[in-house]
Amino acid sequence: MKKKLDFKNFSIYFDHYLFISITLLSVMGLFFLYSASQEDLNTVIKQSIFVGFGLILMLAVSQPDPDFYKTFSGIFLVLSILLIFATMIFGKEINGAKRWLDLGFFTLQTSEIVKISLPIFLASYLYNKPLPISLKHTFITLILIGSIFFLVYRQPDLGTGLVVFMAGVYILFLAGLSWRFIFTSFGLVLLSLPFLWNNFLQPFQRQRILTFMDPSNDPYGSSWNITQSKIAIGSGGMSGKGYQDGSQAHLNFLPEAETDFIFAVIAEEFGFVGVCILLSIFFFILLRCLYLAFNARDRFCRLTIGGLSLVFASTLFINLGMVVGIIPVVGMPMPFISKGGSSLLSFYIAFGIIISMATHKKLMQK
Amino acid sequence: MIDLEERIVEKKSFFNRLVIIYLFFGLIFIFFLERTYSLQISEFSDYEIAALENKTKEVLVQPVRGVIYDRNGAIIVNNVPSYDLIIKPWKILDLNKFIEKISLVIELNSDEIDFVTENFNQKARYNRELILKKDLTRVEIARFEVRSFKFPNAFIDKRYSRKNNYPHLFSHAIGYVGGISNEQLNSILEDQALDQDETIFSYSNGFLIGKTGIENKYDKTLRGLFGKKIYEVDARGKFLKQTNYIEPKNGGSLFTSLDLNSHKVAYDKMNNRRGAVVAIEIESGSIVTYLSTPSFSSNDISNGISSKAFNALLKDPNKPFFDRAAQGRYSPASTIKPAIGLYGLEENLIDWNFSINDPGYFILPEDQRIYRGWRKGGHGNVNLKKAMIVSSNTFFFSLAYQSNIDNLINHLSNFGFGKDICLDCFNPDLGLLPTPDWKINNLNFGWFKGDTVNLGVGQGYLSATPLQLAYYASVIANKGINKKLTLVNNQTVKVSENLPLKNIQNSDWEKLHSSMIGVIDDPQGTAKRLKGLKTYTVAAKSGTVELVSTETKEDYKIIRENVGNRDHAIIIAFGPMPEPKYAVSVIIENGESGGSVAGPVAIAVLNSLIEE
Repeated sequence: MKKKLDFKNFSIYFDHYLFISITLLSVMGLFFLYSASQEDLNTVIKQSIFVGFGLILMLAVSQPDPDFYKTFSGIFLVLSILLIFATMIFGKEINGAKRWLDLGFFTLQTSEIVKISLPIFLASYLYNKPLPISLKHTFITLILIGSIFFLVYRQPDLGTGLVVFMAGVYILFLAGLSWRFIFTSFGLVLLSLPFLWNNFLQPFQRQRILTFMDPSNDPYGSSWNITQSKIAIGSGGMSGKGYQDGSQAHLNFLPEAETDFIFAVIAEEFGFVGVCILLSIFFFILLRCLYLAFNARDRFCRLTIGGLSLVFASTLFINLGMVVGIIPVVGMPMPFISKGGSSLLSFYIAFGIIISMATHKKLMQK
Repeated sequence: MIDLEERIVEKKSFFNRLVIIYLFFGLIFIFFLERTYSLQISEFSDYEIAALENKTKEVLVQPVRGVIYDRNGAIIVNNVPSYDLIIKPWKILDLNKFIEKISLVIELNSDEIDFVTENFNQKARYNRELILKKDLTRVEIARFEVRSFKFPNAFIDKRYSRKNNYPHLFSHAIGYVGGISNEQLNSILEDQALDQDETIFSYSNGFLIGKTGIENKYDKTLRGLFGKKIYEVDARGKFLKQTNYIEPKNGGSLFTSLDLNSHKVAYDKMNNRRGAVVAIEIESGSIVTYLSTPSFSSNDISNGISSKAFNALLKDPNKPFFDRAAQGRYSPASTIKPAIGLYGLEENLIDWNFSINDPGYFILPEDQRIYRGWRKGGHGNVNLKKAMIVSSNTFFFSLAYQSNIDNLINHLSNFGFGKDICLDCFNPDLGLLPTPDWKINNLNFGWFKGDTVNLGVGQGYLSATPLQLAYYASVIANKGINKKLTLVNNQTVKVSENLPLKNIQNSDWEKLHSSMIGVIDDPQGTAKRLKGLKTYTVAAKSGTVELVSTETKEDYKIIRENVGNRDHAIIIAFGPMPEPKYAVSVIIENGESGGSVAGPVAIAVLNSLIEE
């Protein structure tokens, strides 16, 4: 296993397993997007620019030593929180949600950045804390996670907010959160669910959850998305209807076919076989991350690799679960496949950092 | 800060925790795969159908109704095409420019332009056609056709309207068509396992159903089967392409037994008087003439009429919508006498030689009540034959007086009174054959002997429709062999039955016929004025339906000042004798004299049928 490419005196930190599988996914994504966008070349060209840029970004981000990230993680976090505040003030409002900063050439969804900077910061904060993490550190961490979640949730963007929240909690858990604390708080959360339901969820979010429980409730209302998505997936059958032949996607029955529901397009056109092939690549990436986490050089790297790979896995499973109708509809893209620049770039950055953490070795462990 | 041992513990804890989460994710992953598997493999066929239904839109194609013919093959009801100019809005970019351009070829009025402007965007969005101008003239069609290459997004389409070629002659017999209720439409479509849906109409006024008459009774035959065009649509319902076309099956032609010529003659002779004419081909039992007057234009009702004109028809005191032939109730009056005579013969109450003295009235022994004949002073000595010819009431009063009411009612019912005698008439009324039970239930009075006596001359509670009277005439003409009536030939085999009369011989029938011939041919006959109107022999019985009971002719002169109080004129007739082919009944409301007012109409209709 080579973790470095040496060009005479100049070396590049590189993990060809991750690089190849991510490139493969990205290329497949472009291929799927062409069909999902109803053969719209503009969309595909725009997306391929993101992909190309993203791959370069990933390479670039994997070059600095983990210590660089550890040192500057606080600054990164502050910057990304400032970006969220900027979004609150200067953000572009679309459908009642203020999530985007218009940078002219690119609209940035700022919450996508915090879902990377938060776990890195927490890893750098917790890597030297003794086991189990003390209550004081636990609360400091949770308050930080909670405030950032709240900022994102207020945009409103429950989906990304939840991922940010999960990213933080993963790190806390991996760093050694005490089991007693876990069980106590789990019980408290269960007890307070009715309160959260009544006070925290917007009516449309409650409706989504209710619809999810009983989709037959209103086939043309809020469960339309789930119903059409299931029809698309189910009608794909074993081998699919063929590339660009998915009627659900091409006749506009499937909502958000290019973004959240692109998996349904793939399932419709390539069937169960296509689904298995695609998912096995994701599966491979996750296993590779697990391997890299186990072999990381220190606790900071371990935590970061573990945390970021779990963010990736969570995003994937939330997307898949939503598309097949096992969880309610929350806006969540399929990593590397769905259209959309911010989310795509954030995952290239995340994997760039993972590669950096995995490839930089120290002669002496700390 | 952390020593080596702690570091090992930390590493182990990290691994364990990461593996826990990975295992948890692994479970979700397996669950997810199971879900996808069940959607794509186990429930594949359900979802395949759902996807197909999603993208498929069926548009019904209306069939064209069948043509209705008279018994000689003349077309009575047909479908007349009109030509509409249709455009394809989704292919037209600039409507104003298009209208400007096409206006040079076909003039459009402001209503038409407004209609198109209003509906253009919506039709364009869903790839639907839009009617630009209805009912183009020949000149307009020609002007457009030679320039059609300039208008690839417009075309001329044929739409039908239902047209009766003789709208006033058959307005009741054949009836009219009209709009359809949702329930009716659903049940029609259910027969074809179709859903109510968008429809391409062949008729300019959309869904049609037979509302009355033959159009109603034979709606299923005439209607045909809907076809469908199957389109691929997108989620908004926009047509993308036609994937299949199942042609509609147009309605079947209907060959009725109605005779056009006799209708013309009857309509002429009735001259808009209130009344009805029904004629029957005796051998087949088919109705050849079925006219109720005054009439209305069935085309106006089928294809649209102003509400003012419609209200005028509704409020017309002559009630043109009322189907007097099948629904008008009239006392048979003296036309009942042949049946009463037959009853006397059957029950051996009289024979042909039996005679009584007719002083002009009959006194009911029970209460000394006087029942008068139509002629003051009476007819002297009358036997059955003479009683028929001169229409002696006294003879039949006394005959009825001797009869058993139950047997008499049963006897009359065999001639179709109080019964539905038509297999395919629209809403026929059953008339009224009164019974003691009926009287006590409806009038709260017991049956008096006087009621039986009145029955003997067809007055009182007894009433019948012109259709029933014509049937009755045909049964007498056919010497007791009866066949139910029909309007359409060649349908189910009709069974003919014999009247259950034991004591009536062929000679009795012949004598009865000859008495009825005497009604016209005998110098004393009540309808003797008809003798010169024909070249063959006709048997008949006339009647005068008293609406107001009067003691003297002077009294009647007073009450007849009000037209509505005048007697109804009624006649039944059949001929040519001795082998009658047609039986006819004519009623003219307030026409006063059966023989001289209703009679000429009956003879004219027989002439038209026999001399054809």
